[in-house]
Amino acid sequence: MIRLDDIIIQAKNVNFYYGSFKALIDVTIDFEKNKVTALIGPSGCGKSTLLRLLNRMNDLIDGTRVEGEVIFEGANIYASNVDPVDVRRRIGMVFQKPNPFPKSIFNNITYGPKLSGISRKTDLEALVERSLIQASLWNEVKDILSQSAMMLSGGQQQRLCIARALAMKPDVLLMDEPTSALDPISTAKIEELIEELKKNYTIIIVTHNMQQAARVSDYTGFFYLGKLIEYNQTDRLFTTPDVKQTEDYITGRFG
Amino acid sequence: MSRALKEKIIKNVLFLFALVSIIVLALIIIFLFMEGVPIFGVVSLKGFLFGTEWYPTYDPPEFGIWPLIVGSIVVTFFSALIAVPLGVLSAIYIAELAPPLVKEIFKPVIELLAGLPSVVLGFFGMAILAPWLQQTFDLPTGLNILNASLILALMAIPTISSIAEDALYSVPQEFKEASYALGATPFETVTKVVVPAALSGISTAVILGMARAIGETMVVLMVAGGAAAIPESIFDSVRPMPASIAAEMGEAPFRSDHYHALFATGIVLFFMTLGFNLFADYISHKFKEVGSATL
Ligand SMILES: Nc1ncnc2c1ncn2[C@@H]1O[C@H](COP(=O)(O)OP(=O)(O)OP(=O)(O)O)[C@@H](O)[C@H]1O
Ligand SMILES: [Mg+2]
Repeated sequence: MIRLDDIIIQAKNVNFYYGSFKALIDVTIDFEKNKVTALIGPSGCGKSTLLRLLNRMNDLIDGTRVEGEVIFEGANIYASNVDPVDVRRRIGMVFQKPNPFPKSIFNNITYGPKLSGISRKTDLEALVERSLIQASLWNEVKDILSQSAMMLSGGQQQRLCIARALAMKPDVLLMDEPTSALDPISTAKIEELIEELKKNYTIIIVTHNMQQAARVSDYTGFFYLGKLIEYNQTDRLFTTPDVKQTEDYITGRFG
Repeated sequence: MSRALKEKIIKNVLFLFALVSIIVLALIIIFLFMEGVPIFGVVSLKGFLFGTEWYPTYDPPEFGIWPLIVGSIVVTFFSALIAVPLGVLSAIYIAELAPPLVKEIFKPVIELLAGLPSVVLGFFGMAILAPWLQQTFDLPTGLNILNASLILALMAIPTISSIAEDALYSVPQEFKEASYALGATPFETVTKVVVPAALSGISTAVILGMARAIGETMVVLMVAGGAAAIPESIFDSVRPMPASIAAEMGEAPFRSDHYHALFATGIVLFFMTLGFNLFADYISHKFKEVGSATL
């Protein structure tokens, strides 16, 4: 295992079950603060499952079960006294398919903050501006904040979803194939954005695009059939992988 | 036979079927007007709609249906007051919040309610609710607005609930996930995302439920009491339009003034339900939020 300096979140000996199907097998993985970690692997290997495990989104699916611990800032988020709502406020998520609410751009971004108690109009306005600037969408939408978010292009919608997640000022941002539904230009924009965001956020990104993983991430974990096969610095994993399976996958021999 | 020809035949056959139902509908409406309009030779439109005396068999007869219109509106209004909150809330509960086991029990029970013949509900109103109301509130009769509203509400609840439920189910899962991922509770997700996104469908459900209540005949015939007078309290009897038509049609001589007056009442009822449906249509378009997250 690699040595990391400043660990923000870690999964310890995690097994995860959908009913009787074991989707994650004894996964132990640490994520470093203010870095980008990519999760790669063939379809169905459990990348999304792991990602959703980190902010307890899997709780929403009936019949799932977790064994092991997920330590976030020193505490197990699966401990019985932890409210998943609090976890999700601090660990944001961006989905594969852009999913803005059918509300105005402004209300999309203020949705989360309002729930967590921010109600002053000036505060909300400042937050909207800040989040949109961070998601590099401000210039495109600053004059149409009251329009429906559904009118934006796919790439803009995805950046809006990022802005919406950032408005919660999360510590960690989970991204599940955030560019797989986007065109190359939008994809490039979001990759730039990730580069920019890692100064302030810890990002964990699932991607099927090997070049993308290589471009944006500092660390990469390769998963296969629910197991973490190899975890390493991205440049090492892509140039001199330790495990044969990893090499086969990244050179395109399977998966 | 070539594929194109086959397609063409199928298309035309289906068109024919669609045409038949439209033609039948048109014929019914024409017939309704033909039989109803002659009454306006006896009484003015205003006198008919707003006249407060309905004595079709007196000499001279009076053809004012205002008490009947008020009767219909009043029972529909009070049944809405009961059925809308119950129907919508039960839909929200069943679709979004109920644990699976509870859902499995509630859903079929409500659907069973929808399948109850109205005469059975009417019988329940007559035999059980009416005596109870009469005793509890010390009334001359338990067949009144309150009774009719309660029974009509019972009929409208399943309609409202099941259409509203479908509207809630059709809200994309992605919206809910987005909401949860931002730290919303299930309750916040339902009230702030799911219900607003389903609002057009929920409004349609409400209006269609009410359209059902206003046109419902058997129940009001059995439990509304039948008094053709403008009511002063919810414990008064009324004679809603459908009840009046159903009760009197058998005894009105063919093509008599009374007969025409009943058809004209039918026209009024027709326009009211049409109005409800157009309104439902308008609402469902107006509130329709711009599609799902497409690219
Ligand atoms: N809701 C669910 N119920 C049951 N099984 C599930 C569910 N979601 C995922 N699985 C199963 O768990 C395994 C891992 O799924 P997961 O979605 O994590 O894969 P993934 O690595 O994200 O794949 P992809 O690259 O296609 O998104 C798969 O075998 C899948 O069939
Ligand atoms: Mg996935």
